[in-house]
Amino acid sequence: MSKKKTKIKVDLNRRDFLTVAGAAFGSAVAAQFLTTGPLSPFSQLKQSQLEGVPETGHGAGTGEYHWGMVINLDACIGCEYCMRACSAINDVNPDKPWNIVVEEKTSTGNTFYFSRPCLHCQNAPCVEVCPVKATYHREDGLVVMDYDRCIGCRYCQIACPYDARKFNWELIPYENPYVPTYGLPEVDRRPRGVVEKCTFCIHRIDAALESGQVPGESPGSSPACVNICPVGARVFGNLKDPNSHISQVLADNPTIRLREDLGAEPSVYYIPPKEGL
Amino acid sequence: MATVSVARRPFPFSPGFLAWVGLIMFLLGIGLVTAYQVFSKGLVITNMYDSVPWGLWITIDLSAIALGAGAFTLSAVVYLFGLKRFQPIVRLAVFLGFIGYTSALLTLVMDIGRPDRFWHPWVYWNVHSVLWEITWCITIYLIIMVMEFLPVITENKFFDRAPWLRAFAQMLHKGAPLFALLGLGISLLHQSSLGATYGIVKSRPIWFKPSMPIMFILSAIAVGPALTMSITFVIEWITGKRNIDHEILRAIARFSGFGLLIYGYIKFWDLAAITYYGRMPTVEQALYLLNQQTPYNFAFWVGEILLGIVIPATLFLVPRFNRNPALLVLGGFSAMIGIIINRWNVTVSGLFVPLAYSPGTQYVLPPGNYFPNLVEWGIAIGIIGYALLMLTLGVKYLPLFKKEEEHA
Repeated sequence: MSKKKTKIKVDLNRRDFLTVAGAAFGSAVAAQFLTTGPLSPFSQLKQSQLEGVPETGHGAGTGEYHWGMVINLDACIGCEYCMRACSAINDVNPDKPWNIVVEEKTSTGNTFYFSRPCLHCQNAPCVEVCPVKATYHREDGLVVMDYDRCIGCRYCQIACPYDARKFNWELIPYENPYVPTYGLPEVDRRPRGVVEKCTFCIHRIDAALESGQVPGESPGSSPACVNICPVGARVFGNLKDPNSHISQVLADNPTIRLREDLGAEPSVYYIPPKEGL
Repeated sequence: MATVSVARRPFPFSPGFLAWVGLIMFLLGIGLVTAYQVFSKGLVITNMYDSVPWGLWITIDLSAIALGAGAFTLSAVVYLFGLKRFQPIVRLAVFLGFIGYTSALLTLVMDIGRPDRFWHPWVYWNVHSVLWEITWCITIYLIIMVMEFLPVITENKFFDRAPWLRAFAQMLHKGAPLFALLGLGISLLHQSSLGATYGIVKSRPIWFKPSMPIMFILSAIAVGPALTMSITFVIEWITGKRNIDHEILRAIARFSGFGLLIYGYIKFWDLAAITYYGRMPTVEQALYLLNQQTPYNFAFWVGEILLGIVIPATLFLVPRFNRNPALLVLGGFSAMIGIIINRWNVTVSGLFVPLAYSPGTQYVLPPGNYFPNLVEWGIAIGIIGYALLMLTLGVKYLPLFKKEEEHA
């Protein structure tokens, strides 16, 4: 019995020892080569990534700018001008504003007004789920839509935690009541069958940068909602520039972001009402 | 008398068959008329809206793909696990899979806002997106199924005129084990990714859980073969030909029964961990809201558990029941209804719970409110008509059950 066993062992050894040893040696060499050599997937990583310092998402960190917004819930008076200007400038269906304003109550029962554009998350769920990269991050951290690529599957709408996305269920049947009182449309209406959302008025940002202005600092180069706000409750600017107005505001005020627990890393910060939420 | 004697063949279609074809044409007609409406007027004529952007059609996609799972399961059983006695049913299984997947794709084309851009996922890749992966897997798997099934199609008399195609198809058939392997891999990927489509959405409390892809794939593996089995019996009843040994069908039923038990087991622990022990505030509030607004508990316990698991598993596994073909078919269709209700519950219930993101109020948005309207049902009817038409044509003109010659 034991003799038979030994024999089998010898047979196995002869045949397989070299194979196993060769495979082990080969894997070790390959592993070494792939982890440190030029073929290594890690060779592209920056030192900070190797040290486990968290990146701020796919979008930010590549360009010179990271556009962000601060909304002061303490200052907001709920006039809805931001919603109306946004709807006029971007020619948005008035029933489905990109920028909503709602009345809410603090825990002590006092009224405050909560408004929400697209939060331009740096770990945006919508960008991750889009099957065709029709929604993507620009270098400046903005989450934008390619209306010519969108197939209208609406998965981004489902994945967005903040309900910032609207689908064009039909072809432009609406009258825009905010034109021309609150401004004239600066972009085309979107075609039927694609998803749309707030862009932080990229057409203005890009034009401003081309003409040497600083978006957020000079009027007319900021998003429509920021420009029209009569109480200055919205601040827009470059989060990467420590001297920008928005960075100052962020440094001087306590701020929150919506549903931090989801880890979406929104670029929109809120200054809560003074008495707390 | 110089009459031309026309060699009259006996009329090949019975009145019953003609009535059946008429019914199918009626269903297809409804579907086509509705499809025209949707294409010309847009999705605005459905009951879907921005808070519930997915509805009945997505449920059909998910169900049709899950029910088509018999194709990869039975192919793998025969060609990878070497259980050759199941070989006679593989052709039908692959054919049903093909019908299921094409039905899903047809519905998807109706559902997306820009059907003219259906090809975009193949050109513009987002490798992070499960939906992109699903699109690719479904496309590849459809090709695999066509290649698996081409030999069967070319056996039709029609292809006497194209012997080269037949030879090519026969050559393809030598790759059946490879196709089975590829099909298994690809199916395991996308059947579970369909669950992940919901499972990864972290802002939706009742979706976001790792059990979602596992429950999707287990239910598909269990119910797909059961449907193949049931349809085989129904075809036998209609054509009066015993195509496949009942012992084989019974074995498939038992397999499905065990699959359903495993599915039920995972579902039990999912229920325990998520809703009973979990007590996550968001989940609790979501379920409370669902039970207030919808018959969620009823649909879950009666639709998903009783119809979808308990009844079919009992009928499939208890020897006294599974010797009776009628009860097996009953079990198969009960499981099918269960899986459809499950996919509906997942899709629509998850969307009914409004998003919670505002700093002050818990739910800024009202709860979802959706029931499919006539347009959506019209497309559903058309898709059913398409599936029945394909099945009828297949049974009538393709050698779905022809005994294969023995080859290694």
